[in-house]
Amino acid sequence: MKKRMLPAFPAFLAAVLAGSVWLCLRPAELSLPGICGMGLSFRTGGFRGMYGVLCAFMWTVTGMLTPEYFRHDQHTGRYLVFNLVTLGATLGVFYADDLFTTLVCFEVMSLASYIWVVQEETPEAMRAGQTYLAVAVIGGLVTLMGLFLLWRHLGTLRYDELREAAAAFTGNRGILTAASWLTMFGFAAKAGLFPVHIWLPKAHPVAPAPASAILSGMLTKTGILGIAVVALRLNQGNEAFGQVLLGLGAVTMFLGAVLGLFSVNLKRTLACSSVSQVGFIVVGIAVTLLLGHHGTTAAYGTVLHMVNHSLCKLCLFLCAGTVFMNLEELDLNRIRGFGRGKPLLHAVFLCGALSIGCIPPLGAGFNSKSLLHEGLLEYLEVLAENGSGAWGAVKALEILFLVSGGLTVAYMTKLYVCLFVEKGPGEGKPAGGRYVSRLSALALILSAAALPVFGIAGRQLMSPLAGMSMDFFGFGEKDFVFFNWENLKGALISIGIGAAVYLTVVRKWMIRREEGGSVYLDRWPAWLDLEERVYRPVLRILPDVLAAVDRRIMEFPDSTLVKETIPKGIAGLTGFLAGLPESFACVRVIPAAVTALCRFLCELPERMTVLAHRLFFRRDKIKKQVPVGNAFTYRLGCFLNRCAGLLNRTVLRSRPLRQDFEYVLAMQQQEATEEQDRVVNSVSYGFLLMLAGIVIVVIVLLWHRGPG
Amino acid sequence: MTASWYLIIPVLFPVLAGILTACGLFGNRARRAAVSCCLGINVLLMIPVLLDGEKAFQLFSLSRNLPVFLKSDDIAKFFAALMNLVWFGVGIYSFEYMEHEGSLDRYYGFYLMTGGALTALAMSGSIVTFYMFYELMALLSVPMVVHTMQKDAVAAGIKYLIYSVLGASLALLGMFLLAGNISSFSFAPGGVLNDAGKGEGRSTVLAAGMLLIIGFGTKAGMFPLHGWLPTAHPVAPAPASAVLSGIITKSGVLGVYRVVYELIGAETLRGSWVQIVFLALTMFTVFSGSLLAYKEQVLKKRLAYSSVSQVSYVLFGLATMTAPGVTGALLHVCAHSLIKDTLFMSAGAIIHKTGKTRVEELEGIGKRMPKVMACFTAVSLGLVGIPPCLGFVSKWYLAQGSLAAAGIPQWLTWLGPAVLLVSALLTAGYLLSIAIRGFFPSREIPAESLTKCDPGASMWIPMACFALLSVALGVFPGKLIALFSSIAASVL
Repeated sequence: MKKRMLPAFPAFLAAVLAGSVWLCLRPAELSLPGICGMGLSFRTGGFRGMYGVLCAFMWTVTGMLTPEYFRHDQHTGRYLVFNLVTLGATLGVFYADDLFTTLVCFEVMSLASYIWVVQEETPEAMRAGQTYLAVAVIGGLVTLMGLFLLWRHLGTLRYDELREAAAAFTGNRGILTAASWLTMFGFAAKAGLFPVHIWLPKAHPVAPAPASAILSGMLTKTGILGIAVVALRLNQGNEAFGQVLLGLGAVTMFLGAVLGLFSVNLKRTLACSSVSQVGFIVVGIAVTLLLGHHGTTAAYGTVLHMVNHSLCKLCLFLCAGTVFMNLEELDLNRIRGFGRGKPLLHAVFLCGALSIGCIPPLGAGFNSKSLLHEGLLEYLEVLAENGSGAWGAVKALEILFLVSGGLTVAYMTKLYVCLFVEKGPGEGKPAGGRYVSRLSALALILSAAALPVFGIAGRQLMSPLAGMSMDFFGFGEKDFVFFNWENLKGALISIGIGAAVYLTVVRKWMIRREEGGSVYLDRWPAWLDLEERVYRPVLRILPDVLAAVDRRIMEFPDSTLVKETIPKGIAGLTGFLAGLPESFACVRVIPAAVTALCRFLCELPERMTVLAHRLFFRRDKIKKQVPVGNAFTYRLGCFLNRCAGLLNRTVLRSRPLRQDFEYVLAMQQQEATEEQDRVVNSVSYGFLLMLAGIVIVVIVLLWHRGPG
Repeated sequence: MTASWYLIIPVLFPVLAGILTACGLFGNRARRAAVSCCLGINVLLMIPVLLDGEKAFQLFSLSRNLPVFLKSDDIAKFFAALMNLVWFGVGIYSFEYMEHEGSLDRYYGFYLMTGGALTALAMSGSIVTFYMFYELMALLSVPMVVHTMQKDAVAAGIKYLIYSVLGASLALLGMFLLAGNISSFSFAPGGVLNDAGKGEGRSTVLAAGMLLIIGFGTKAGMFPLHGWLPTAHPVAPAPASAVLSGIITKSGVLGVYRVVYELIGAETLRGSWVQIVFLALTMFTVFSGSLLAYKEQVLKKRLAYSSVSQVSYVLFGLATMTAPGVTGALLHVCAHSLIKDTLFMSAGAIIHKTGKTRVEELEGIGKRMPKVMACFTAVSLGLVGIPPCLGFVSKWYLAQGSLAAAGIPQWLTWLGPAVLLVSALLTAGYLLSIAIRGFFPSREIPAESLTKCDPGASMWIPMACFALLSVALGVFPGKLIALFSSIAASVL
């Protein structure tokens, strides 16, 4: 069933292409409020319409190769489904009329295209897929952060309002710049800008060729679109932003070219070439930004180079796909000589190679790169007029630009010579006689046809094409003459550098002569890999380190300290406190001490009184003497004695009474006297205390009144 | 107040049904039909509540100023509807999962009763009512955690209970502190502080607020009292973990919402130390939860840590005290309930069919259980926040809420979205890696070992429905956003 669906697939894509052409010619608007919260809005026409057509065209052409490419594959259905999802999302990115819609479509596109990268399910594909997904997810999230800030501070994400909103922004410009970089990050990652270019050289070689063509030719352009929007609509007049972007573009441009030169894998070379070409385009965007209102030339160059690169990569990756369909190999040493005796493939590859190598007159790339170069020269002039210190750096950059162009020529020559000139194991035709089906051949022809036409009729075809787009970039239309001495000189310098590099570096250093032929060597030092040496280790170690710290904190509430030590401590303390009332100290010592203290305190006033009393009324030691009594007591006593004697002799003989009454009475009299003394003493002591009290009261009252 | 007695029906009905089930009235054969009917009927019983305006129904009164009553305001309707819907879906799912387990009468009885208690909790009109049903729900859900009665399950159940009680008692302490500073115990948008509470009692109110937030934050898994989640989830049966994580954590969220916006009022808390501590705790939890999930190898424990992180997204939104923040928080309640339930149900389906619990054993699982893993992948993307899923929409609002927050240091408003995004990245790391290895096993796995073993329809249809709902609501969130924005506008 799936196999039968395959031929219908390009037909369906052709219908989409027709639709996109219609949308390009009759611009339309669509807004879907409330979708995803913020609402989606789309607009076609102009640059977006043109790129929509290009997008659908590339899908259609790659779709024509698909039936043959996937004739043995098991997971064709999966590929087709995600292919269509990606197509829709990519068209959505180009047609989007605000950054929110762009992001929504961009994320769907990134994730759906993941399936392309891992389609073959080989370990390399899975690893490349990991890289691709990580870059896509991280990029998407960072861009989202940028959009949070833009929406918060500008209040709009619509393309047509962004420029005014950014110009009218009165707050801290730093916020806007930060938001711009954040927003750009995801797009730059998709475009393959240094230092987030890492996914391209990994993902392209492992993806199926039709998918690589689109990954390289179209998906990178969605990133470019984002960069252009952020740079030209949000940072107009922000020179620092433009210069950093220029620097990044230059590094990408050169680095990609160098990587491409070193590569010994057909598709990897093309992928590195994509990185390099994206660098050229970003240089164009940066120059457009830096030149402000005079950036028309650079803007034309940017748009045309985008279009050229899309078409070149379509053509070249389809060639690579043809090679892979036949040989299941991409290594230069194994596919060498495949193109010999295959004129169709030869012609198609040559169209792409000339175009990307910017070789006039057939190479369409010559036109666009000349404009980029011209823009760079204009910027140099402006800097020279202003006497800016950056002139030297930009001049160096211009030289780098030409050198990178030369390297492009060199690595394309390397591929061309390997495939079509040298003899090798790839030579010969397959058993069936046809190395490519009719439909695939048509795809190859269609992919290449436009390039030489664009190359020759640049002024008639390319200028109007770019003119359509200028509205989007904020410039007017302009007419250019491509074939002039200045441009040709630039191209010749690049070709000269390329030839020199090819003849010296590639032929002498990267090829080793052996018996029975020569071998392409991978001279790139294996340790020099940004992803393997920096990103992956950091992403592996960082979570470990953070998690180790974090686990300590997160598990603290569950730790032994909290769960055991502290409860034990509290329990111990509580136990001690609970046992305290029953302890010896509490039961005996403290009550005794408290009782003694209380008693002492209670008796204190009494003791003091008594003490004072003794002090005041020292009683003389009463001598123990026989009480004397007075005359009355003596007489009464004698009388009573006699009465008692009388009674003793008569009535009370058995129990006689005592006969010392005079003594008893004397004692009683004395006691009474003493009692009387004591009462007098006490009363007088009381009066004394009262007197002391009165004196104190009077003193206190006087004291208090005194100062008042 | 016209007839409002019907508010009690969706509470009483499942509780009665639960008691009858627990008593073993239905027997083995009728149980499945009876329980699914009860759950379905309860969803239907919610409809009059949802369609009618705001009503209140007093159950009884503890004292003259402590009424216990149910109220169907918008937030109550939303929570009650969501809870009942998910309860129904997970209930249907659980039949196949639980078919080999024992003590099903007890399990379903308590499942139904907890559902009733949750509905009451959602519709509580005063903090006293809320507290009552909060405790009731915590107690009723313990039998589901300890269901297997294994040693570790019982230990986890005790831990769950201790955390619940500890959290609730902190909240109770907060309520006592608050008592003198509020004019009534009933919830009202904007808070019910009296003059004392706004004036000299402000510091007491703030302390009480912090206690209440941390107390109710326990159920929502907020640091420092998050510890019960990673312990209770792996040992509970998968459907129980699903509702624990998806729904019961939301009762804590609702508690925090009621306290912050309808008891104390955002006006008082905004810019205070309580807001800063609250924000810091939620941000830390968001980050740590996802980091520990990333390093965790037991699938259900990974999902539990993920819940710790994701529920704190919601609390973070509440902590911003801005309209977009509250909208985002409520959107994320919806998103996380659907998503996390689906994830736990997938984990359960994997355990049920293959017995595998560790992440590294799941290589090739996508080829064996394509339906389950398709649901898993779809909701994973939603949890990461990839458009057009609901998780993306909620994150957009949460970030806007954070950036709009006033009265707190500027860098904190920036840090919020950054933490959310770093956490989203980790979420991608711990969920998508499972999906990828599931669908693209390495070559070492022999192809013949990858036999198809998707579970029955009663298991995967609820999952698929939740997954679809989470995507559909992300594409068409208009109605939800309108509802939540009006709620946010009313309380701010």
